Amino acid sequence: MTRADYCAVLFAALLLPYLYISQWTGSEAGVAASIMNGGQTTQVSLAHDHTLEIDGALGTSIIKIEDGKIRFVASPCLGKQCIHSGWLQHAGEFAACLPNRISVAVLGEEPRFDSINF
Amino acid sequence: MKPLWLSLLLITTLGITACSEAPPQVHKAKLFTLGTLVDISVLHQDEAATQQAVAIVESELAIINRQWHAWRDSPLTTINKQLAQGETVTIDAATYRFIKQAQTLAADSNQLFNPTIGSLVERWGFHSDDRPNSAPPTKENIDELLKQAPSMANITLTETTLSSNNPTVQFDFGAFGKGYAIDRAIEQLKQAGIENAIVNAGGDLRAIGSKGKQPWRIGVRHPTSAGVIAAIETDGDESVFTSGNYERFFDFEGKRYHHIIDPRSGYPANNAISVTVIHHNAATADAAATALFIAGVDEWPQIAQQMGIDKVMLIDEALTIYMTPQMAQRIHIEIDDAQSKVIGNDG
Repeated sequence: MTRADYCAVLFAALLLPYLYISQWTGSEAGVAASIMNGGQTTQVSLAHDHTLEIDGALGTSIIKIEDGKIRFVASPCLGKQCIHSGWLQHAGEFAACLPNRISVAVLGEEPRFDSINF
Repeated sequence: MKPLWLSLLLITTLGITACSEAPPQVHKAKLFTLGTLVDISVLHQDEAATQQAVAIVESELAIINRQWHAWRDSPLTTINKQLAQGETVTIDAATYRFIKQAQTLAADSNQLFNPTIGSLVERWGFHSDDRPNSAPPTKENIDELLKQAPSMANITLTETTLSSNNPTVQFDFGAFGKGYAIDRAIEQLKQAGIENAIVNAGGDLRAIGSKGKQPWRIGVRHPTSAGVIAAIETDGDESVFTSGNYERFFDFEGKRYHHIIDPRSGYPANNAISVTVIHHNAATADAAATALFIAGVDEWPQIAQQMGIDKVMLIDEALTIYMTPQMAQRIHIEIDDAQSKVIGNDG
């Protein structure tokens, strides 16, 4: 083999583990979230901590983003099941305040699942 | 000539790169209807046709929601009033098919799926979009309703009429209507020429076709913590339904009460925390998930067999996972140290 062949082999050998990791593994952690309010959907980044106040059908829901996670912290519904859902972090995780018609779903670069059953 | 291993290395490298081609674009739509969030995913080459099909589905689901709503004024609440007065109700062909299917499923489940206990569900406060954390009904309230023992066996059904020999029959199709609606939605998508789609209504779904070269991948949410407990790859046309004690509930004086009422005791069923069913028909999967949840650890194999359900996963309070052999072949448990038992359908 020539020196160029050795270089090609070395390059391919180094490339293989990188390609395997980048294409076949992939983090489940979400990078953004989709917030649906009635029929309107907006996307928010999970990279920056902040709090959102969203006016829904019943009143204001408060949604907090912190350390790459998102959750309902207040909502005008009676059951508070949206708040019980806790922090959402992984692509596909979802919580909704149905009475207030607001839902939050974590988006990922490549979610592991096409749909979540519960 | 270059060594063989060099060629193999380069082919493997190219193979990894080639396999990682961008996944097909899936059209997503979300609708608030059926008292929940309906998520529609469609893989189809014609975006305009997809949007048109989704609009048809939205309209169909709205009609079903109006028709079968158990506590807002609807054709169903009118039927309930007529039955309470001992009247014979005139019905159309679609209503006949809907109630006939529910009656068959109720009989197959030994009436554990019992859509006639609307009064009991209402007494528990679940005839509300947003139940407050207020007191549950008293034991006297529940006993009084249980004595009346309404069931689908009280119903006399012809293709044009419906009557009941028990005036306490009050329909509530909460454990069946969502499945029926999903079946109708899938039919509409198929009629529009869509072959690859998922319709997910509040966590219960039916999937058809595939996501390009891959099957649709479904995550089953963990019943007690964040994340998923299991993964399923759908095969052709399949519904995946789960009934769990975490879906609708209220807390009162430190105790949680969920919405799946055991028609035998009148209280929330407590012999399972979740049941997942795979079946091609969504309405059947819906009723079966409820019936098997109520059946609990001891009775589910027998009821599943009677209902013709061969793919079942039941999780109990200790997080022990019980499965039929057919479900065990199809599901991948995603948690470590899971204790699972595979149980034959014959019990």
